[in-house]
Amino acid sequence: MDHFGLLGLPRQYAIDRDALERAYLERAQAAHPDRFVGASSAEQRSAMERSASLNEGYRVLRDPVRRAEYLCRLAGIDVDSSEPEGGAPAMGQAFLMEMIERREAVEDARREGPSALDELRDGVEGELDDALDRAVSALQQGDSRRAAEALVERRYLQRLLDELDDEVER
Amino acid sequence: MAYSDKVIDHYENPRNVGSLDKGDESVGTGVVGAPACGDVMKLQIKVEGGVITDAKFKTYGCGSAIASSSLVTEWVKGMKIEDAMEIKNSQIAEELSLPPVKIHCSVLAEDAIKAAIVDYQKKHGGA
Repeated sequence: MDHFGLLGLPRQYAIDRDALERAYLERAQAAHPDRFVGASSAEQRSAMERSASLNEGYRVLRDPVRRAEYLCRLAGIDVDSSEPEGGAPAMGQAFLMEMIERREAVEDARREGPSALDELRDGVEGELDDALDRAVSALQQGDSRRAAEALVERRYLQRLLDELDDEVER
Repeated sequence: MAYSDKVIDHYENPRNVGSLDKGDESVGTGVVGAPACGDVMKLQIKVEGGVITDAKFKTYGCGSAIASSSLVTEWVKGMKIEDAMEIKNSQIAEELSLPPVKIHCSVLAEDAIKAAIVDYQKKHGGA
């Protein structure tokens, strides 16, 4: 069963956060290993597995990016995989070249000082939100391919942001 | 994760970091990315008389990705382009003793040198 089914929620991006919270707490309590102290070892094991699945499902569904990536995976595109078939879609040359140039710009900004880094950082944060928005609207139109492309673009941008954060902390 | 000594050596002392002029007719540029992790790699070659006379790279990624591209730039200098085209990721992975989870870094380096050669060939009306 997928994470949505496990938590009794419709398989879609839009999610009622309160309903997710309630569904998780109810089910997690019912499956809690403490309730199975006197049960057979098979029942204990199955309760433990169910708890682990619920925790994993909750962790994925409550996070907007992970939820979007998970919907792509259910549609047959695994953005965690580098396989050409069914893995993360490859980006075009122009995009990759732009990513190289922007990484180089981080090196320049480091020499210029903190305010140059902050400026770059603010821009990237806006683009991250924009990429997720594009992924969500593609998912809502049932276009998981385009959603996966936007999510992969987001991953490259996330790495750029991580690097900027490392620079700021240095 | 434990990196091999060779990976650490290339990571701490990367060879041939830098850029060549992308617009130069004798330069081929390959840019590749690992979509699942967001690593990007640029590898450039300068070709004179069918032989690679210089190679530079810039890799923004993990130690294994940096070591793989650094190693490839060392290898290809002095090679004919058709021989460089034959470099396999398995040779890179073996030389650096990459663990299975880092094999994709060597694939990236193989893709990058191939892309650089193809770019050079395109500039010269080749396939």
